Amino acid sequence: MDAEQTRAVLATMWRIRAFEERVGQLKRADEVHGLIHLSIGQEGVAAAVCGQLRTDDAVYSGHRAHGHALAKGAPMTRALAELMGRRDGLCRGMGGSMHLVDVEHGFLGATGVVGGNIPLALGTALALHAAGRDAVAVVFFGDGAVQAGLFAESVNLAALWRLPVLLVCENNGFAEFSPRSAHTPVERVRDVVAPYGLVGGTVDGNDVDAVWAAVAGLLPAVRAGEGPALLECLTHRLRGHYEGDPDRYREAVSSAEWRERDPIARLQRAATGDGRLDPDELPGFERTARDQVERAVLAARESPFPDAALAASLAYRR
Amino acid sequence: MTDPATDTAFDGRGLGTERLVELYRQMVRIREFEERVKRTFAEHPGVIRGHTHLADGAEASIVGSVAALRPGDQLTATYRCHGYPIALGSDTAAMMAEIYGRATGTCGGYGGSMHLCDPERGFLGTSGIVGQGIPHATGAAWAAQIRGDRDVVLGFFGDGASKQGAFHESLNIAALWKLPVVYVLENNSFSAGVRTEQEDANAAAGEPLATKARAYSMPGVTVDGGDPLAVYDALSAAVARARAGEGPTLVESRVYRLSAHGNSIAPPGVPLHYPEHEAISRFGAVEEYEAAKRGDPVPRFRAALVAGGVLSDALARSILADAAEEMQHAVDTALAAPFPEPAAALEHVYAEAPA
Amino acid sequence: MSTHETTYIGAVMEAIDLEMARDERVLLLGQSVGGRPDDPFVQRYGENRVRVTPISETAEIGMAVGAALAGMRPVVDATMAEFLLVAMDQVVNEGNRFHHMSGGRVRVPMVLKAGYGFTAGWAGQHTGSIYGMFMGVPGLKVALPSTPADAKGLMASAIRDDNPVLFLHHYLLTLDRGEVPDGEHLVPFGQAVIRRPGADVTLVATGWTVPMALAAAATLAADGIEAEVIDPRTIAPLDTATVLASVRRTGRLVLVDQATRHASVSAVLAAEVAEAGFDALRAPIVQVTGLDAGIAYSRPMEEHVLPDEAKVVAAVRRVVEYSGTRV
Ligand SMILES: Cc1ncc(C[n+]2csc(CCOP(=O)(O)OP(=O)(O)O)c2C)c(N)n1
Ligand SMILES: [Mg+2]
Repeated sequence: MDAEQTRAVLATMWRIRAFEERVGQLKRADEVHGLIHLSIGQEGVAAAVCGQLRTDDAVYSGHRAHGHALAKGAPMTRALAELMGRRDGLCRGMGGSMHLVDVEHGFLGATGVVGGNIPLALGTALALHAAGRDAVAVVFFGDGAVQAGLFAESVNLAALWRLPVLLVCENNGFAEFSPRSAHTPVERVRDVVAPYGLVGGTVDGNDVDAVWAAVAGLLPAVRAGEGPALLECLTHRLRGHYEGDPDRYREAVSSAEWRERDPIARLQRAATGDGRLDPDELPGFERTARDQVERAVLAARESPFPDAALAASLAYRR
Repeated sequence: MTDPATDTAFDGRGLGTERLVELYRQMVRIREFEERVKRTFAEHPGVIRGHTHLADGAEASIVGSVAALRPGDQLTATYRCHGYPIALGSDTAAMMAEIYGRATGTCGGYGGSMHLCDPERGFLGTSGIVGQGIPHATGAAWAAQIRGDRDVVLGFFGDGASKQGAFHESLNIAALWKLPVVYVLENNSFSAGVRTEQEDANAAAGEPLATKARAYSMPGVTVDGGDPLAVYDALSAAVARARAGEGPTLVESRVYRLSAHGNSIAPPGVPLHYPEHEAISRFGAVEEYEAAKRGDPVPRFRAALVAGGVLSDALARSILADAAEEMQHAVDTALAAPFPEPAAALEHVYAEAPA
Repeated sequence: MSTHETTYIGAVMEAIDLEMARDERVLLLGQSVGGRPDDPFVQRYGENRVRVTPISETAEIGMAVGAALAGMRPVVDATMAEFLLVAMDQVVNEGNRFHHMSGGRVRVPMVLKAGYGFTAGWAGQHTGSIYGMFMGVPGLKVALPSTPADAKGLMASAIRDDNPVLFLHHYLLTLDRGEVPDGEHLVPFGQAVIRRPGADVTLVATGWTVPMALAAAATLAADGIEAEVIDPRTIAPLDTATVLASVRRTGRLVLVDQATRHASVSAVLAAEVAEAGFDALRAPIVQVTGLDAGIAYSRPMEEHVLPDEAKVVAAVRRVVEYSGTRV
């Protein structure tokens, strides 16, 4: 990552961090309702992957989707309005946190069904390929999705048909409240796909430079139609599985340890250490992001609730 | 081609002449049964309804697998299920009656060709939906693990089923829980009319399907399913491993189905028949099919046994004659057997609580 | 009979606990089951019988079928009803089929426990009242408890049943408290219960709409309208006889159901009563159901598609005041 790229990625990570911290507060204040999964601690993956995508590349995500949507370019105000159930939300208040969609920016959608997005990404890749475009489909999913049947069904077809799809697994070691060791004897997701001949590898997902480099290494071949790839990013969610999760199933991370792991702090350390960024510019990233979030909160609050009858009228496309 | 006399070693297994001859007898019985199912379409049009799937070509694999079991072990299979109960000792007359839809059938005419079962002999049943029996075998193995009696479960399925999510989910859990299950993937190179390499990334890459076992850190072996002793060896090792509590194994048994996927599919009134094999009808691969015929496991094993001095020509002839007679009896009694009462259709919707 | 107070969900778990203690063939598996040595179920029944699973719904439910075929009585905690859809074949085309297809030679005693109806901001994929798609499935029984006592009694019966049972508990009732019989408590399947007697109109409701119907009945009673409230408790088998007998007394029927109208218990009951009880009806049957749309995330829209007490009261008034034209 050069200096410009680093700035862009850092800005994205801060935007996600500030957004999600604020969403956590809004959830506690009941301005955002329903089930909320935050990706605090995992922002580096969203930022480094989406930072190398084009608008016409398609991105899919799962239940922990805010970061991916924002990193792909979804406007923060509309994302927040959606979480607040407002008319100007990305989905007019129909979807909420787990169902963000922003077609305009190539964020084709999030799903609450674990692994349910993977075949969708394959289908988009197939369509892109059939249309002769060099755009790719990217799908983010957690380590828990790997044990779902449709994961294997998808990996086989992606490999067989050499689809232009990049599978990005955010392996945070937990699916809901149980560790990976309770789900599978195979620790690394790359070992699950290796028998299918999928290229890719495992990186430290909290080392944003490493994620960036890995994506840069994989993406050109995927784009060139040489077939799919899997990138496994080892990461850590700082919060519970969902907002309100008492989180008693994991060892607490000490704050010193967290400072070591936090992908934002790490990137800031690395980039100032090697001179890409000037220490003086760092506070600006956070401030800009937090200001933007506050403006988004005010704007979203201005947006009215949708007309209730919309719920029934959208059951079918008319 | 390898010399059939030398490519199976008879000693060392402790099977003994009688068991070896018995294996052959079961193979012949399965073949005869399947031939009679097939002939029924021509000889008694309209008697078999719906869809049948034959195991001809897989006899060695079936017999070799079942021979590795002991009483108490169990198995599940697919719609292609006629061979297993024969190897387990089920009554072929009742099986044929089931396929003919008679009240005296194995399942009283409720199941038909695709859904034979014989729980008393360990055959728990089948699913007609591709891949969906794999978790059933896995669950039965979980039950065996809980019982702690060291029983083992075999789950039979085809190459196409290995593309089902159920395969992935089940093998992962079985490996994680070290379940006493052996997955027997009968790779006959076709999923109905689709060749394995058209649908499977491993096959397309020229790799055995047993490669998939690696995704679960499970042993995976590929065995010549045309050789009952090779299958017996592979299954014995896998079963022993499972019995010892060391977990599951994926055994890919390479077989060649000698009939078409199933009988023709047509609306009532149109006579059903067994069409030409897909290798020829869809791919024009006449020579491939002829080669498979030449490698037919039944005569191959007979030749090996004869060459090894285990089987005399006379005994081989009498085995065949006995099987032919048995299956003639099966056909005759099934044809004569009564149909179920129509209102019986509403029985067994729910199981009644045992008295 | 001595009782104690507990929550609806607590009652469900109490039944599972008692049955696991009573019969060691009862197993419990699922994504949010056990998984920790200090889990009370793991401590009581061991990790063999209490198993956390990966996110592998097809295998979880399929394995329950297989374990049942091999003599066990597994309970799958599928968490949310929608997750069953990932494994639809196993739910409606495997376990429920085996007994019948085998001519009665095998049986598949298993319970699929799942929550439903979580209309609390979970948007489209986690909120459905989707029992309609299971109630017509031969061989599958479906229970929809509405009180803690029934939750316990129906779960115990489900576990002892020799068939696959879909036990659907309503998420909005999770923490409702009520008196529950101590110790063994079984509620038979296929027996509706009259929650409140009344002579003027029959109200049938399930799950979360039962308290709604009772509240509506209380409101109506103040105006002198006596509604009889019936809770079928299981929808497969469905006790149409109790409903018909009630309609013969009241001459009027209002059906309340959270499900989308065209996949609801109410649609089935309306058809049954129209066919067998036409002569007893003094007014058209009216259904107060969910609208035929997905559940929207935003609160006002979420509420719009659901039945509520006011809608029930209004429907009853229309039926009671019916004078020969349209309701
Ligand atoms: C098919 C399905 N099964 C179960 C769930 C419930 N569920 C929601 S998130 C989750 C854990 C997913 O874990 P992982 O894929 O590792 O993602 P993470 O939450 O760790 O980011 C589960 C089991 C679901 N939404 N969909
Ligand atoms: Mg995870």
